Amino acid sequence: MAFALAAAALALAAALAARLRFPALPFYLLAGLLASPWLDPGALEPLPTLGLMLLLFSVGLEFGPDRLSELSKKAIRAGAVDALALFLGAALGLLFGLDLKSAVLFGGVVYISSSAVIAKLIAELHRAAAPESEVVLGVLVFEDLLIALVLALFGGHGGAFGVAASALLVLGFLLAARFLAPRLAALLERVGDEPMLLFGTAFTVGTAVLFHLLGSSEGVGAFLAGVVAAGLGLRDRIERLFFPVRDLAAALFFLAVGAGAVRLLGANAGLALGLALLAVGLKLPLDYLAGRAAGLSHRRGLLAAFYLVPRGEFNLVLGALALAEGQALVAQVAVLLVLFSVPLGALLFRYGPEWTRRR
Amino acid sequence: MRVEEAVLPGVGHKFTVYTARGDRVVIVIHQTGPREVYFYRDDEDEPAAELELTDEEAREIGAILAGVIYHPEVVGDARTRVKELVLEWVKVEPGHPCARRRLEDWLAQAPGVHVLGVLREDQALYPNPPADLVLEVGDVLIVAGSRTAVDRFKEAGC
Repeated sequence: MAFALAAAALALAAALAARLRFPALPFYLLAGLLASPWLDPGALEPLPTLGLMLLLFSVGLEFGPDRLSELSKKAIRAGAVDALALFLGAALGLLFGLDLKSAVLFGGVVYISSSAVIAKLIAELHRAAAPESEVVLGVLVFEDLLIALVLALFGGHGGAFGVAASALLVLGFLLAARFLAPRLAALLERVGDEPMLLFGTAFTVGTAVLFHLLGSSEGVGAFLAGVVAAGLGLRDRIERLFFPVRDLAAALFFLAVGAGAVRLLGANAGLALGLALLAVGLKLPLDYLAGRAAGLSHRRGLLAAFYLVPRGEFNLVLGALALAEGQALVAQVAVLLVLFSVPLGALLFRYGPEWTRRR
Repeated sequence: MRVEEAVLPGVGHKFTVYTARGDRVVIVIHQTGPREVYFYRDDEDEPAAELELTDEEAREIGAILAGVIYHPEVVGDARTRVKELVLEWVKVEPGHPCARRRLEDWLAQAPGVHVLGVLREDQALYPNPPADLVLEVGDVLIVAGSRTAVDRFKEAGC
């Protein structure tokens, strides 16, 4: 019942988005908000969570040894400037009287843009050929890597043991991928598409659960599963097989975020909104400078800053962790930030090139 | 001519071709298959023309541009064309009359053609295939000969 309602709401949202020639993701969030009186996001589980895990998995898939060595100097320079947002955000958190861990989580919420949302927007709006897109996507690789580190170090709920266990596990996974890769890859060549899809899902969710049990963040597990799959040379095949499933589950995830957001709008909503606005306001000029550091023109730098506005998957992971720490305010900021930065970012994406032309 | 390649993580690959005339062609290959082609005149910031292609269209246009279908006589290309000789890859499509027949039966229909090798799926290349090799659907024959002989070979049955 809940699923039928959700699927219908998503279909309507997607149709409306297509009609307006606008990216679909913000419409999913809004559909969730509008449907929230009738829709219990809990009833949709585990699909939205699977969506989040597959999103993180596909972000991890973009890594692998080949991608990291392909990161250009330009992208690293821009990524370094952009990373200041993490430290400024964490400092801001400390200033507000958060403990170190929560402050770092808050810094992450301020810092991380959504590579899943932004890559989708770039592809849908045909911006892939533009010079700023290359810089933006490079910066996103940098951000995802840094935030995975932050999550591995600060994301656990098992204290020092959790950190040590997840560090060992990460190392074990990467070593296994490194040394078993040739044999495993040859074996998987012979596996058909359907078992492959199911194996992949079991592997992703299994790794996430394993990390959760060890007191680390399940997000890191899903992300790492993607890195390992990329290391096995499966990127192209997995992209073809998984993306339709991921897109459906991720749409449900964004719908559930929209539907669940109403609960969080209660106490301190004003403060949370202020902080979310501050986060966007902090990152825009930094990303403009990052674009300039990568050698973009004034206009292209502005566009790069616009493109990096949308937040998504990792913000919600960080928000959920902060909520587990008892920091409801950080979680509120994270959810609000996703809620308005995706539509705002999509608007800036859509009309940015026209606004910035010849000023 | 200069070609630059860049990876767009999560989107695909981008190739920038600088032509001798000083124009720029940017080709984006999406990981989901579609292609985008942009043409920038001189140093301009905005493309003068843009093109969206499906995977199939892009391959067809690519083959036409590469001269697979018609190759201009004035341009000598050592790779596919040695003087009057042409080199072509001929696939045994399902239902082809020569499938499950010996290679010599096919060659008898088109004299002047040499089969340099046979590519069979999941197997190494057969160099200099014996005349009694039985062809299978999906085999790709590397054929050399004069243009007319190769054309005759492609149209011949068994």
